[in-house]
Amino acid sequence: MAVKLLLENAHVEGIRYYDAYRKHGGYRAVEKALKMTPEEIVEEVKKSGLRGRGGAGFPTGMKWSFLAKPEGVPRHLVCNADESEPGTFKDRYLMEFLPHLLIEGLIVSSFALGSNTTYIYIRGEYDWITDILEQAIAEAKNNGWLGKNILGTGFDCEIYVHRGAGAYICGEETALIESLEGKRGNPRMKPPFPAIQGVWMRPTVVNNVETLAAVVPIINLGAEAYAKIGIGKSTGTKLMSACGNINKPGVYEIDMTISVEEFIFSDEYCGGIPKGKKLKACISGGSSVPILPANLLLKTAKGESRLMNYESLSDGGFVTGTMMGSGGFIVFDEDQCVVRHTMTLARFYNHESCGQCSPCREGTGWMYKILKNLEYGKGKMSDIDLLWDIQRKIDGTTICPLGDAAAWPVAAAIRHFRDEFEWHVLNPEESQRRNYGLAHYADPIHIPVSA
Amino acid sequence: MSKSYYVQPSQSGGGIVAEKVDAKVAYIDGMAYPIKEGESILAFLRRNFGPDFVPTLCDAPNLEPFGSCRVCSVDVAITANGSSKAMASCHTPVMPGYFISPHSERIQQLRKNIIELVLTDHPLDCLTCEVNNNCELQTVAARVGVRDVRYPEGKTHTNRKKDLSHPYMTSDMSKCINCFRCVRACDEVQGQFVLSMAGRGFDSHIVKGAETSFFESECVSCGACAQACPTSAISDVFESKSVVFDKKERTVCTYCGVGCNLEVATVNGKIKSIQAPYDADVNGGHTCLKGRYAFAFYNHPDRLSSPMIKRNGEFVPVSWDEAYDFIADKLIEIKEKYGPDSIAGISSSRGTNEENYLMQKFIRAVIGTNNIDCCARVCHSPTAIGMQRTFGTGAATNSIRDLKVTDCIMVIGANPTSGHPVTGAKLKQVAMSGKTSIVIDPRRTELAKYATYHLQLRPGTNVAVLNMMLYYIVKENLEDKNFIASRTEGYEDFRQNILNLNIDEMEKISGVDRELVRKAAIAYASAPNAMSFHGLGVTEHSQGTFTIMLITDLAMITGNIGRPGVGVNPLRGQNNVQGSADMGCQPYQGAGYFDVTVPEYHKKYEEFYHAKLPNYVGLKIPQMYDAALNDKLKAMWVIGEDMAQTDPNTHHVVKALSKLELFVVQELFMTETAKLATVILPAASFLEKSGTFTNGERRIQRVNQVVAPIAGTKSDGQIIVDLMNRMGYPQPDYDPKWVLEEVSQIVPFFEGVKWDELGINGKQWPVNKEGKGTPILHVDTFKRGKGKFVYNDWKESEEIVKNGKEYPYIITTNRELEHYNCGAMTRRTGNVKIVTDDVLLINPADAQKHLINEGDMVCVESVRGKVDIKAKITDEVKPGVLSSTFHFPDIMLNNITSSISDSEAMCPEYKVVSVNIRKSKGEYKKVK
Ligand SMILES: Cc1cc2nc3c(=O)[nH]c(=O)nc-3n(C[C@H](O)[C@H](O)[C@H](O)COP(=O)(O)O)c2cc1C
Ligand code: SF4
Ligand code: SF4
Ligand code: SF4
Ligand code: SF4
Ligand code: FES
Repeated sequence: MAVKLLLENAHVEGIRYYDAYRKHGGYRAVEKALKMTPEEIVEEVKKSGLRGRGGAGFPTGMKWSFLAKPEGVPRHLVCNADESEPGTFKDRYLMEFLPHLLIEGLIVSSFALGSNTTYIYIRGEYDWITDILEQAIAEAKNNGWLGKNILGTGFDCEIYVHRGAGAYICGEETALIESLEGKRGNPRMKPPFPAIQGVWMRPTVVNNVETLAAVVPIINLGAEAYAKIGIGKSTGTKLMSACGNINKPGVYEIDMTISVEEFIFSDEYCGGIPKGKKLKACISGGSSVPILPANLLLKTAKGESRLMNYESLSDGGFVTGTMMGSGGFIVFDEDQCVVRHTMTLARFYNHESCGQCSPCREGTGWMYKILKNLEYGKGKMSDIDLLWDIQRKIDGTTICPLGDAAAWPVAAAIRHFRDEFEWHVLNPEESQRRNYGLAHYADPIHIPVSA
Repeated sequence: MSKSYYVQPSQSGGGIVAEKVDAKVAYIDGMAYPIKEGESILAFLRRNFGPDFVPTLCDAPNLEPFGSCRVCSVDVAITANGSSKAMASCHTPVMPGYFISPHSERIQQLRKNIIELVLTDHPLDCLTCEVNNNCELQTVAARVGVRDVRYPEGKTHTNRKKDLSHPYMTSDMSKCINCFRCVRACDEVQGQFVLSMAGRGFDSHIVKGAETSFFESECVSCGACAQACPTSAISDVFESKSVVFDKKERTVCTYCGVGCNLEVATVNGKIKSIQAPYDADVNGGHTCLKGRYAFAFYNHPDRLSSPMIKRNGEFVPVSWDEAYDFIADKLIEIKEKYGPDSIAGISSSRGTNEENYLMQKFIRAVIGTNNIDCCARVCHSPTAIGMQRTFGTGAATNSIRDLKVTDCIMVIGANPTSGHPVTGAKLKQVAMSGKTSIVIDPRRTELAKYATYHLQLRPGTNVAVLNMMLYYIVKENLEDKNFIASRTEGYEDFRQNILNLNIDEMEKISGVDRELVRKAAIAYASAPNAMSFHGLGVTEHSQGTFTIMLITDLAMITGNIGRPGVGVNPLRGQNNVQGSADMGCQPYQGAGYFDVTVPEYHKKYEEFYHAKLPNYVGLKIPQMYDAALNDKLKAMWVIGEDMAQTDPNTHHVVKALSKLELFVVQELFMTETAKLATVILPAASFLEKSGTFTNGERRIQRVNQVVAPIAGTKSDGQIIVDLMNRMGYPQPDYDPKWVLEEVSQIVPFFEGVKWDELGINGKQWPVNKEGKGTPILHVDTFKRGKGKFVYNDWKESEEIVKNGKEYPYIITTNRELEHYNCGAMTRRTGNVKIVTDDVLLINPADAQKHLINEGDMVCVESVRGKVDIKAKITDEVKPGVLSSTFHFPDIMLNNITSSISDSEAMCPEYKVVSVNIRKSKGEYKKVK
């Protein structure tokens, strides 16, 4: 049975409310942390090996230590609860069931960073969760965990929940900051980075919900014990939101030692593919990460079994690997069409591009238009090359990573499923009636043995 | 593609082959070049290889980097031959040891691809586009070598509707490439926030206000967006960006003392359009709508085009010779009969330095009287006198560019966003940037809305409020003791007087909470560098000169003198207020401010002009009217001033002028004053002549003739010279070069000024023998040696003492951005379509009391007369205070203003008039 550090008590009766949460050991981390110095907490988080759960996987302790501390300038912690990536819904689960866990993590982190005003930026569609969070904040405040002079330490902290207005881009940390300031959510140029000039041009740390919740077990267990869970640089546990063609969609907390195969097929997790269908492909970390065909998903190009952690998922780089991303795990069975799926994602990115950068604004539009042509039997062979060309010119050339996020799925689809695209071009009519199917995508791949 | 624009590193010189990473160099194509701290990669590349080295689209000379087009991307690696990343060069700081490949194969492909993408949503009708051959998209596309577009048919935005709602601004958003330059220009340059991007991604599009048109939006027509737009998506009715012009000439705007440089394009000898040069120190690519768009007056059919003599009450066109003979004969006759002091001249602060110099020379040397004054009398004469008394020089101590380094601005009695729009926009940016800003004004001006402190005092109580500030600075021990000890005199007495102030009384009469005054005083005194600005709300008062001295006291007591970002800075109303005074157009001082009564200077002038001059002071403008009424003054020559509309107490003025035997008016249009003339001389406008203007920061700038004088007119300078010749004082034809040469021999601070050496941005006086200008005055010592503290008590205006009971409201005058003074020029441009009439600002409480609704005509009555003005109900004014403009002759607001004027400079008190109001009975009544 896997360790659970976050969701252990998720189904305890009344855990959403303060009394039950406290009875089950809640707010112990605050009690412990407020006796430490902020520097000690940052050091613990560094030692824990915790990596950002919002997608990029940047080491959290390191990010915290970059925070500028100019004399007399307030600093801010912002919790990124915008969670809008297709396929990712783990933060929602955590906030819905365990709001106090997030609040607790926020108090500890705010103390560590010296943030007296901390914000939760939540996606607009999560309106009921806003209520849950605000209730939890009020409870925490009534019980002395927030407000002035917390636990007599002299530390003041307020948490405000700010609702977004329905834009994926506002999950990007600098767009989020703009939006939080009341402006149009356009990402900012970097530098300056938020750690130097973030909200109101003050030093700011933006972290994902899950990242900040994970600070609680780190404090409770101690960094060393936390770091022992998992493998290598993938320490602790990770929430995965699984969906697509699986028997048991939902949010799972995994320790990062299990294999992808186990995650998909074991009954403890996804429970296999319905109706005995075969696995064709999978997106392992939210819509932005490269899609992998079944054969590369389960085994790395070196022939090793692929594990559910940062290193193993990205083994092989983008050529044969993918990413942990934000943990949105989308499974495709043999009946799914990769062209159609890629078009759907392109439509999403086209709709969500903020429109500042020419490559992203125009490029996402054209990728969608071209994919639509391909999907509906109006494509040409040269369109596939054009698609490839556009994505290459977006990748790494824009103000924010949304451009990359839009480019990668298209690149990976062409890289691994080119013949399915070509089949659409060559069979414009047939492709409207049936799908390409599993084809060779689950076949074992030849592994070159190095001499 | 063409590679000709590359400068190969080997050709450029200066590069050394990369070997090891040096701390202060970065590498361009493998060659090392020293970097400057804080510069972007783009700036670094351009510094070494010229402005066209890297193509850009969203970058603009006067805007912050934005990073949206990505065309400027370059490859950057952190080790030689290491893996590189594409980075937008415009906003990425260059770091030591960067290896930059500005034109790698990959980058060239990227640029090409981006432009290709942009072109997929752009109407390809270059040949018929108004900016053809001056379009940045076109240029960049040609440079990166886009030939054809590989994309299939798709939805585009090439059929968007044009916006032609506005008299000046136009837009055709089919041509938009989403570079945000217009949005940034409106935000960063003008600070108006009209434009924004709506929608996102492919749907993003520029909107004005809440998706309205230019006309309905809050746009102030500054044109910054049109100039910034790289395509024709935003432009103007004059098609200013088109290449269809014969020549472009640089000159200086005539509408205010900011002195913006203008680049005027002409076609077939007619003005086509005006743009703002980016390399202008004063306005760096910006103007207001007056400078940029309000030029159509110059060839308006109403322009006077022939000299005229009034015969039997009718103006009869005559030849120049006839007019000159008539004037010369008459002047000689009057001079013989009544003596030279029966003649007076009023010069124009609109004219060039050279013309002003010649006019005062004519009056002094040819007529032989000191009866010379100019319209600065009615605006900034107290500034000149007040600052001369305390500092020794009646001019701005600092430069506008100092706004970049100041920590605090204090704006007193000025509404710069309307009166001095380009400086106003800069002040607004400072206020919005979060730096401390203090506004002292009875009106909640646009700037006041952004200010940290707004001291909304009752009109006529400037002295009270400034004294309160001084009181708190002393009380809080915030004086700069070192500065006071080493640089000033008279402080002890001054301090005692300040400490004896009755704060209760001052608070009561000014109506400003003492706590607010205290905070503002502390803010001003504790800012490392504080800069003050003032306008006519200071000078046009009975205590105008005293107020000026208090402003200088504030600067001295806090040591805010003699370095960048500080000082006392008058905002000059007209374009050459500074110059007309410098040139000696005042009855007590000649060119260079030498006192005409001091024997030494009297002699100096007599020798210089080879003429006999009076050694006593002449008449100031208000005294001229009195003298005319008393039959002492018989002849008057006025250049470009509409006193009958703009001087206070119209009845009095008209009566005086009507009594003159000879009244010569030199004008562009048939103004209210011209109608009273005996002889009218049609003058050329600033666009039709050359010379120099001196702006509010003492900057002498070249005005260059753009078009020939319209038929039948002559420049003021030529007219004066012609008359001098007629009257036996030979002078060469008007040419600024020789006049300036002569001026430099008599005006010490013009010593090194030479017509050919002024350059495009002019020089700030004093200009020494070597030709070096002076951006900041009083650096080591004051002009008068030590700065002098002068205390002045507040005194109620006579107007209120006498009439306040019966006429309990106070009306103050102001102006609109869109119009200039009497409106003779701006009312003959598209500006009238934007602002159509004068309005009376009235507080809702007062409006309610008199049952006045928005737009009702209100009868405003003073002891001298009454006028009807349309009401605009607003809380910009406090209850009991009214405010109105005076741009339209229908209203003749000056029927009600008083003849009271500043005790020292005789500047009229426009800003405090006791009146009563009631709703007008009739519909709209014109007042005769
Ligand atoms: C287009 C875009 C959307 C993003 N959306 C989210 C999001 O919804 N939630 C999130 O935590 N991070 C999101 N991120 C990542 C954030 O920019 C940021 O890296 C993250 O919040 C950092 O937190 P972490 O270090 O805890 O992972 C997004 C990034 C991009 C480019
Ligand atoms: S990459 Fe796309 S979403 Fe990001 S700033 Fe540029 S246009 Fe906006
Ligand atoms: S003309 Fe000036 S105020 Fe109007 S939208 Fe353009 S920049 Fe803004
Ligand atoms: S209107 Fe012009 S300046 Fe504004 S975004 Fe479009 S192209 Fe750029
Ligand atoms: S700010 Fe003054 S000088 Fe500049 S354009 Fe406007 S009126 Fe002319
Ligand atoms: S010029 Fe640098 S991104 Fe446009």
